[in-house]
Amino acid sequence: MKLLHSFTSSLIVSGACLASAASSWSFQDATIAIQSKGAGVGAGTKETLNPNTPLAKSVSLGATDTLKLLLTTTDGKKAKRPHQAFLTLTDPTTGLEESFVLSVKENGKGKVDLTQKDLPVQFLTSAKPIPASIVIGSFGSSTAYKSTAFDLNVSRDPNVPLAIPEPPTRYAAEQEIHHIFRDDPRSPPKIITLVFAAAVLGAVPVLLGVWATLGANVNHFGKAFGNAPISHGLFFGSILAMEGIFFLYYTSWNLFQTLPAATIVGSVAFLSGSRALSEVQERRLAGLR
Amino acid sequence: MPPKQRTPSSQPAPSSTSTPSKPTSSKAASNSMDAQAIATDIWNKYVDKTPQRVKLLDSFLAFLVVVGVLQFVYCVIVGNFPFNAFLSGFSATVGQFVLTASLRIQTNPENKSEFESISHERAFADFVFGSLLLHFFCVNFIN
Amino acid sequence: MRWLFSLVVVALLAAVQAVSFTGKRLLVVLDEASEKEKYSVFLGDLEGRGFHVTTESPKSDSLSLFRHGERAYDHVVLLPAKSKGLGPALTANLILDFLKKEGNILLALSSESATPTSVQSLLLELDIHIPSDKGALVVDHFNYDSSSASEKHDVLLLPYPTNLKSGVKNYFGGDGYIAVPRAVGQTLGNESPLLAPILRAPSTAYSYNPKDEADTVEDPFATGSQLNLVSAVQAHNSARLAVLGSAEILQNAWFAEKATLAGKDIKTANRDFAEKLSSWTFKETGVLKVGKLIHYLDEGVSKKLNSSVAVPENNPKIYRIKQDVAFQVEISEYSNTHLTPFVPADGDSIQLEFSMLSPFHRLDLTPISQTANSTIFGVSFKTPDQHGIFNFHVKYNRPFLTNIEEKRQVTVRHFAHDEWPRSWQISGAWVWIGGIWVTVLGWVAFVGLWLYSAPTEKSIKKTQ
Repeated sequence: MKLLHSFTSSLIVSGACLASAASSWSFQDATIAIQSKGAGVGAGTKETLNPNTPLAKSVSLGATDTLKLLLTTTDGKKAKRPHQAFLTLTDPTTGLEESFVLSVKENGKGKVDLTQKDLPVQFLTSAKPIPASIVIGSFGSSTAYKSTAFDLNVSRDPNVPLAIPEPPTRYAAEQEIHHIFRDDPRSPPKIITLVFAAAVLGAVPVLLGVWATLGANVNHFGKAFGNAPISHGLFFGSILAMEGIFFLYYTSWNLFQTLPAATIVGSVAFLSGSRALSEVQERRLAGLR
Repeated sequence: MPPKQRTPSSQPAPSSTSTPSKPTSSKAASNSMDAQAIATDIWNKYVDKTPQRVKLLDSFLAFLVVVGVLQFVYCVIVGNFPFNAFLSGFSATVGQFVLTASLRIQTNPENKSEFESISHERAFADFVFGSLLLHFFCVNFIN
Repeated sequence: MRWLFSLVVVALLAAVQAVSFTGKRLLVVLDEASEKEKYSVFLGDLEGRGFHVTTESPKSDSLSLFRHGERAYDHVVLLPAKSKGLGPALTANLILDFLKKEGNILLALSSESATPTSVQSLLLELDIHIPSDKGALVVDHFNYDSSSASEKHDVLLLPYPTNLKSGVKNYFGGDGYIAVPRAVGQTLGNESPLLAPILRAPSTAYSYNPKDEADTVEDPFATGSQLNLVSAVQAHNSARLAVLGSAEILQNAWFAEKATLAGKDIKTANRDFAEKLSSWTFKETGVLKVGKLIHYLDEGVSKKLNSSVAVPENNPKIYRIKQDVAFQVEISEYSNTHLTPFVPADGDSIQLEFSMLSPFHRLDLTPISQTANSTIFGVSFKTPDQHGIFNFHVKYNRPFLTNIEEKRQVTVRHFAHDEWPRSWQISGAWVWIGGIWVTVLGWVAFVGLWLYSAPTEKSIKKTQ
């Protein structure tokens, strides 16, 4: 697009050199007027266009305004009707072009009216002023004319919402997507944990203390082991072993190591337990408990 | 026996002094006095009548309550992550409490008539079996 | 199957200089035998590139695009005919069926003869619009050949298309000027991404009908760069159709002709442009081929894709959530004679989607390495924290390039029960761990106490 532009502009330059040889298209008596709706005739701005230099000031087109371009096309010095008389708007960012045909009479007088309704939505939202050029050309040997005439500033009414159509699908790389991971759950501050853990652990010595004050003792230990040493040893031992197995299961063992061991220890506890407890029962019936 | 010593010394003093000095004081005060008196009475009765073995059992129950409450309060303060650890830790104490409580009911001499058929030792064997099972589940669940 | 295919490709490469990636049976449809002479250089060039050219008249009884329900030709050149209809063998439906079976068509229009109705409805179906009146052509009072069209301005001299859009590869670039005599301008529908302009008219050009008596153009069909002189369609199955506004571009008379552009003598480069256009249309350029596609668990060691066909892809079927995964894909581009490493256009990239219903990741693939005839693109990422059935999905649809769509399905599973951190590794759990073991400890002590505690003196007294 850009290249094409520079190409055409270089063409215009070369065309200008040729102008001395052959006649060339141009225009004269060109005026551009902005008329606001409701305002009387003659109100609004009016500028005169020069075929050789673009208008210094950009033309502002409001929401209800009408742009009126009037000119007389000339071939050489004579007014003449060309085959092509366009007002071409080019979006400076996207390169989008839109041409508006001037209706030209036999005597070369041409005019075009432009309102915001005529413009594609891209022009309405364009941030930069839109260069508007006048193109005049026809068959034969006369050099065609193309030059930027003025910059068009479209000032939209910000209160009127603009229906911008969905951009059509085009095959191109799409926006990257990165999955957003949920936050890992976080542990509370260690200090709270440690305080509570200490309190929980501290409950054990308190329990032992309370028991001690209540007169708890293990004085029958000797008696029990005297009466049934094997079954008591096995019973209490198997209970300890069972808790040990649980601890190993917690730290390192898997279920298949745990279950056989627990089964063995459990049956030992069952068999020895029944005997140990009968001994306990004897003591109870003897009034020693 | 600290509780025993505490009861006779602390209990009578306020009741004897407060009733004559403030006869018109609000009912709430006298009510609270009554409530306190009832509580003390119950406590005294408990201390006097309960066999020592049951007291040992009761202190174990109290210990479980304390540990359970600590865990629960911790969970309320910091949130329940990791939840399975909370569940297994808390349910270990609650389960142990339930098992111990049923042992207490079955072995309490006061309930002798109701549990004639079940010997203390049989109840204890069930208690051991149930507790081991509970411990296994808790250890398994905490990961 | 795949190795057989590549073997065939290798054999083909050895046999001929240049040939299409998809086949070499080419049908040229033109009206009269005398017309063939005008295109002899173009047709000779096609034969020189390895195509087997068959010429048929649309009126011929033996003409058929299909034989036994399959394509009888791989490519078709449809040159303008004098007659209004193209006969029963070339209806719009049959031409569309030919495209559906991945046949490629170069369709040349001419303003001198009416566009056949079947071509009109075909273009309408593809959302390409041409002026409805016969004889309408594109003129430009700026870029015309002043030696052959000094009065009518209907022979346009245009530079090669430069980069059409950012991120699009240009297969039609070159040096010099293309003469576009008496072209039928086309406008493209805005909705379809399958359409793409190849050669646009300059901004001062417009389309008009010379038979129109009016002195001045009142309501042109289209103006400026909205008007396309050459446009392209690539269907979802990568079948290609190029619409050439002026059949005269392909004629000998314009292949290397002297012309004058704004007083400057130049030589037209139509022969080169015709070659570029026909090579693209007949899949000698812009054809992508996916080789291997591998993905693996990224454990810090980068695996190298083995592009040998003897080694299977051997991809894992299952990953866990939040695992580092690496992905690699091998892509080649067929360029006239052989497969070359594919390089995407500037500003464009091939993308990988890791998707379950909708993409969780969409990542640009970066070239990792190149082999003699392929580029290996790759990317690493972390599987999302969502379990389910996911796809490694590479979909690469770009103008002028054949479409790529590759999918590899994997299961993303949750943590297994033994993959979670152990409870003691989480400081928050310490209290509850303590709770369990304190209970166990207290219980063991209680059991001992219950079994072996002797009653105190006082309690004995009491019970007595």
